[in-house]
Amino acid sequence: MAFSPDIIVGLISFLFTIVVFSYLIGDNPLFRIAIYIFTGVSAGYIAAVAWWQVLLPRLVIPLVTAPMQEKLLLVAPMVGAVLILMKLAPRLAGLARPVMAFLVGVGAAVTIAGALGGTLIPQLLGTINAFDVNAAAARGVNLFEVMVNGGVILAGTILTLIYFHFGASARPDGSVRRFGFIEILAWLGRIFIGITLGAMFAGVYAAALTALIERISSLVNFIGKLI
Amino acid sequence: MADIIKCPVCGEGNAADQEFCQYCQSRLQPLTGPLKGADAPLHPGQIPTKKVTAELEPILPQWLRDARNKARQSAEVDTSQAMQQQERIIPPNASEPDLLAGLRSQSRGDDDEDTPDWLANITGVSPKQKKIDSGSSEARRVELGDRSDFAGNTGALKESIPAWQGNTQEASSDTEKDELKDWFRESSGLEGKKDDVPASDSAGWSDQPVSEPGSFSNDQFVPAVSSSDSDSPDWLKRMTPEEDPGNVPSWLSSDMQQEAKGESPSSFADPASGTFEAAPSSADDVPNWLQGIDPKATSAEGVSSDDWLKEHQPKPVEPNLNRHTTPLWLKGNDNSAANPAEAETPIWLSADVPSPPAPPPSRDPFALDDVVPAFGDIPNWLKAAAPQSSIFADSPAEEAPAAPAEASGWLSTFKSNEPPPTPFSVDKAQENLPPTFTSDAFKDGGENALFTEMPDWLSSASPSAPVSSTPALSDSITPGELPSWVQAMRPVDTTSSARPASFSSDQTFESRGALSGLQGVLPAVPGYGPSSKPKIYSIKLQASQEQQSHAALLEQILAAEAEPVPITSFSPLRTSRTLRWLISFAVLVLIIGVTSLQTRIFSMPVAVPNEFNGALQVAQNVPESAPVLVAVDYHPARVGEMEAAAAPMFDQMMVLRHPRLTFISTNETGAILAEHFLAGPLAERGYQYGNQYLNLGYLPGGVMGIRAFTQNPVITMPFDITLNSAWASAPLQGVTSLSQFAALIVITDNVDTARAWIEQTMSTRQATPFPLVVVSSAQAAPMIQPYYDSGQVTGIVNGLYGGAIFEQNNAGRPGTARSYWDAYSLGLLLAMSLMLGGGLWSLALGLRDRAAAKAGR
Repeated sequence: MAFSPDIIVGLISFLFTIVVFSYLIGDNPLFRIAIYIFTGVSAGYIAAVAWWQVLLPRLVIPLVTAPMQEKLLLVAPMVGAVLILMKLAPRLAGLARPVMAFLVGVGAAVTIAGALGGTLIPQLLGTINAFDVNAAAARGVNLFEVMVNGGVILAGTILTLIYFHFGASARPDGSVRRFGFIEILAWLGRIFIGITLGAMFAGVYAAALTALIERISSLVNFIGKLI
Repeated sequence: MADIIKCPVCGEGNAADQEFCQYCQSRLQPLTGPLKGADAPLHPGQIPTKKVTAELEPILPQWLRDARNKARQSAEVDTSQAMQQQERIIPPNASEPDLLAGLRSQSRGDDDEDTPDWLANITGVSPKQKKIDSGSSEARRVELGDRSDFAGNTGALKESIPAWQGNTQEASSDTEKDELKDWFRESSGLEGKKDDVPASDSAGWSDQPVSEPGSFSNDQFVPAVSSSDSDSPDWLKRMTPEEDPGNVPSWLSSDMQQEAKGESPSSFADPASGTFEAAPSSADDVPNWLQGIDPKATSAEGVSSDDWLKEHQPKPVEPNLNRHTTPLWLKGNDNSAANPAEAETPIWLSADVPSPPAPPPSRDPFALDDVVPAFGDIPNWLKAAAPQSSIFADSPAEEAPAAPAEASGWLSTFKSNEPPPTPFSVDKAQENLPPTFTSDAFKDGGENALFTEMPDWLSSASPSAPVSSTPALSDSITPGELPSWVQAMRPVDTTSSARPASFSSDQTFESRGALSGLQGVLPAVPGYGPSSKPKIYSIKLQASQEQQSHAALLEQILAAEAEPVPITSFSPLRTSRTLRWLISFAVLVLIIGVTSLQTRIFSMPVAVPNEFNGALQVAQNVPESAPVLVAVDYHPARVGEMEAAAAPMFDQMMVLRHPRLTFISTNETGAILAEHFLAGPLAERGYQYGNQYLNLGYLPGGVMGIRAFTQNPVITMPFDITLNSAWASAPLQGVTSLSQFAALIVITDNVDTARAWIEQTMSTRQATPFPLVVVSSAQAAPMIQPYYDSGQVTGIVNGLYGGAIFEQNNAGRPGTARSYWDAYSLGLLLAMSLMLGGGLWSLALGLRDRAAAKAGR
């Protein structure tokens, strides 16, 4: 009987699914074996991808086939890559510091720039534009809905930020508490935070449920095919 | 209180200038002069310093020094007496066979052994000069008689007075009188006649040693052997075999013969006849003084001598007292005619001669037959010096009658018919004293009577008796009359319960041995006394209570610094394994059942959210065969949800617009997931690689890679996963920048990845607007929603719910969402019911506890 690759893959998937489900009864060697296999396979695949899709096409082949100008341009990243490898030796770890500093600096700059231009400002503008009646009208949204939506978003945003304000002063009785108005707003902000966390939990549960359904469905289909 | 020294022995206080303690006579002051430093303790490695014993005498106690001095003096006296006795030894007869020559030869070879005089006389060996130990007080000589007793005439006697005998006289004339001479003199009652007798004579025979082996005290009189003819009396000379071997008296020679035969000498042997019967001998052999002894004559002349002899009638000797016999020559015969040797009366026996210093008249000085059986071998005259005791059973008075029957010899003429007086009863005042030896104790009933009456000497030592340094003797014997050597040896009264005042508790008190009763035997100097157990010093830190409390407080403070402060927190929620299993079982059963049954109970969602409309618009309005960039940035675990969510949109777009898809991923596994996505739910669309879609593979660098790709995608990603030039392929034909893509679809389950693509492409999209659609997981959708509200994202498809909506707009294709929808719905309902039910249950319990708490108050 010839086993098609699909059957073999299906069988392996079935087995690993069962082994992972065994975690319900507790940690066991089979579960650990499955985890170790997944980790190992992932590490191997990543290593292969790093070579075939990064080092080879971007460093090795250009060094071989590229013109001299491109080769000179490759010297810097090549030196940087070698210097980063010096971090494996404690005595030579100091040589990787300039490269690491370059990477950290560039990454921080890119991130900050992206966050500033891609999140903070647009989010502020969006919160402000929530009360844009013209834009809402252009979208066909009535004013009340715009105001309510805007107000809720604004309130939620402010109250959430107030909740994370922990500046307090000592009272005459010795206790340390925030200002009363702040305390009320923080309490309201806690509501928005709770709602947000609940939504996130629901999303996590939904995603996990969907993954479970997909797995069980695959098992059922595999068994159906075998039968 | 100043200048008072505490005695180290007895602990009493003494003046500082005293050298010896006034209570115990122990030394107080350290030794100086030659002995200075001698008491210093030896250190390890030091060689002990050799000391002369004589130098240590000053450190001895006073009483011991006195004893030693007396011993020395007595030794000197003994020495002189010994010398005298040696002179009196008659050399053996050379004509007669020396049957004891062997003994002589043996005695010659032994220097340490003292040859007894009587043996020396027999063997003819001159006795060796006896080494008189000045320190020994055991051997003491007692005067037996006048020296002139053994002299032929007075003149000869004077000439024959040996030097040692003269010295003895001198010694006896010392301050310390010889007690024996006194009672000899007194008992004889012839004190007046003492004047006639030279002083040297009075010392006479009584100076002879007593305790010497073979001496008179041992029942045989051994005249002193002396090599000096001038000193020894004639009869003694005749007895000496060396000087005049031919002049051995017959009685003595016969004794020698008998001894050689193994017989006891006749002179000593015959108990029946009494001791010391006169041996037949020629007139020449008998000493002059013995020859002159005529009982009749003496009886006629020496009335006084007869009297004292009669008074001191010897006691009858029992047969078992064979050894306690008086020599025959000392005995007087009853028949004086048969004993011509007795014709000559010794001077001391003559009437004109004062009473010899002999035992009391009742006591024959040589009459050992008077010895009471209970006395043993101790002569009577010596026993008279002993304390009165009940062990001396028979009184002399009782024993006296037995003696006369066996008494014989010349002394018997001097026996008196009167009962012998008590020994030492010299003074009339002492006559009334109780006898020394009484038999009363035995009369009444044997040994028990011994303890009924306490003798005087013992009663004086009883506890009730007053403490005295000297034991109480009989009234007839004063402490001063005891011989010096006896006094020196006498220990401290041990029977006295009252300990001396000078006795200190920390001093050893000898209770046994030769030093019993003595205190402070060892030199009482520092270092020699009994050392107490050395004081043990603890090595532990000596800290007061306050110091310890402070230290404990400091220790607590330091310990508190290191102790972690516990943070009050709520108790963590513990999940029950059973509850977990039940929920899992329920969920699995529901999903398996619904999936297996492929039910269609739950309807697809109808409400279309706004974010979904944007995605729907993009999918429907993308240009025909436009390049669309698809970023596949989700993990393999989310494959089911993501494919279920993205498949309907891509299916609809592919069906309607046939876009050229270019897949890229910032995840290492994105490229393979893209392939799986196209080969799975979108397999029906038949997209081919290199024609309709291209896979650029992995975009390294994360945010920086996205930034780089956004600015120059050709340089950033020149190749595809097949290492072919990607920008020359058909799917990317005419595309050299990001803005040339018709849309960007980001499929991700991570908010950060979505944020990164949104932020990094913002600048490009502002310059050249192109739609951005995010297909996200249900868990990331809430976080990506603000980006939609801000207009940064065109549309959002979140999880299975979005896929389900798309499927409704796609004619239900591919159908994955539908197959999952019932299970998804039931799962959500189950979760909602569980959470709702659990919450209500917790609320009910809380309310009940609160009510109970209120009721408890």
